[in-house]
Amino acid sequence: MTRQDIEKEVRAIFLREFEVENPEPDVNLREAYGFDSIDAIELLLEIEKFLGSELTQAEKKKAMDIRTLNQIIDYIERLAEKRQATAETK
Amino acid sequence: MTQRRVVITAASAISPIGHGREQIVESLLKGKSGVTTLREDELISRFIHSRVYGTVSYPIAYDFARQHRKTMGPVSYYACQVAKDVLGQAGLPGDFVTGGRLGIAFGSIHGSPTVQRNIYKIFFEAKDKATYQGIGAVDYLKSMVHTTAVNISKMFGITGRIISSGTACTTSSQSIGYGYEAVKYGLQDAMLCGGADEYDTITVAVFDNLLACSTAFNDHPGQTPRPFDRARDGLVVAEGAGAVMLEEYEFARKRGATILAEVIGFACNSNGGDLILPNLDGITKTLRLGLENAQINASDVDLVSAHATATKMGDIIEAQATGAVFGFQPRVVALKSYMGHTMAACGAVETVMTLYMMQDGFIAPTLNLEDIDDRCAMITHVRKLTEYPVKTAAIQNFAFGGVNTSLLIRKLT
Repeated sequence: MTRQDIEKEVRAIFLREFEVENPEPDVNLREAYGFDSIDAIELLLEIEKFLGSELTQAEKKKAMDIRTLNQIIDYIERLAEKRQATAETK
Repeated sequence: MTQRRVVITAASAISPIGHGREQIVESLLKGKSGVTTLREDELISRFIHSRVYGTVSYPIAYDFARQHRKTMGPVSYYACQVAKDVLGQAGLPGDFVTGGRLGIAFGSIHGSPTVQRNIYKIFFEAKDKATYQGIGAVDYLKSMVHTTAVNISKMFGITGRIISSGTACTTSSQSIGYGYEAVKYGLQDAMLCGGADEYDTITVAVFDNLLACSTAFNDHPGQTPRPFDRARDGLVVAEGAGAVMLEEYEFARKRGATILAEVIGFACNSNGGDLILPNLDGITKTLRLGLENAQINASDVDLVSAHATATKMGDIIEAQATGAVFGFQPRVVALKSYMGHTMAACGAVETVMTLYMMQDGFIAPTLNLEDIDDRCAMITHVRKLTEYPVKTAAIQNFAFGGVNTSLLIRKLT
């Protein structure tokens, strides 16, 4: 899964779930698009569906500091890498 | 304690006979019923004997942003729309709306049953994690009992007090009554008050199983409910919403607001006994307490909007209580005959319709009242469209649980 794949999916989620078209990558999502705590919870569910695996409580808590689209992509990228590494050691 | 005068400066309703003043007045003038055939829900509707429902069957052009829609179940769509209507009509300054002196009194009988049903479907059927995750993070916000009030608060940035009664059929009459008291005693300068309920077959099933629903007119929905009529056979559940804006009189006058009427009194009591059966003593006391609170005589009231659900006993008890308190002086209309029982919304919807009649100088007749039950004959029923300059009206509502309310409004001269 490339960073471009992740970005494409996140943008699709933003359009489908939050009616935000082409969000700017580095703006504060709350200030620019009214993205709030409820949206953040919904986003985590969408990320779980995208990754095909459940997020741990610790992983979810790390998401609470996210403010921008790029940070979301970074966050998913790390989760994907972690899951890839786990899969390879099995 | 200082008592201030309280006036109504805006009113709107979404009802089975129309949305807003123009449509509703037209339906009242034309004697149009909003009762239609019960929709199939592919769950329990096929077992319900009563096949009629007071339905909002016309489209409503909502224009709510996603950030608001995401916490709204169907009941909040109705609530926020009538709230938007009255805020628009009242024309309160923006800084007042958000400044803390405007509060909200708004409720529903139990939030959003549509959303609750989806939650419980997962509760009973979840076999894996993916299904469990079908319970959305916002489902509680959409379905909780005060969902209407807080969604209104969020959408319009209203920061005053929140009152969210959930007393079944007296929910919104309490909203107006408690809003009136909040303004009267200086706790708020204005209150947005009302109630809403969405389409729900479970409510029909509950009344159906209590043998309280109409079943004899399933093939002729417009002929039921039949308040005070000898052939009445029960209530018809309905959906809708109603809202009024209450303001302190001097505040409204100074800002040049249109004043529709003054709220002059409110009373609420409970029967302290049976939770289902209507109680003559309790209802009679409520009506008397309302007059006492308004500091007027029974003879000052020229219109009574009866609760009149068209149940066998309920109508008789209400007619007896109304007759004992008011005699034949006021004309009595049963507005549920047009639309059925809008549940939590009924007090507000019927207040809004009473205001419209007061403004336009007419009294709509009780629909389907062809043969007055002798046991309901001790009051003056309105049986034909009547031109009449209504000055003072009493709006009566009674709820399961033994809760009774009486609201009195007067046209300013």
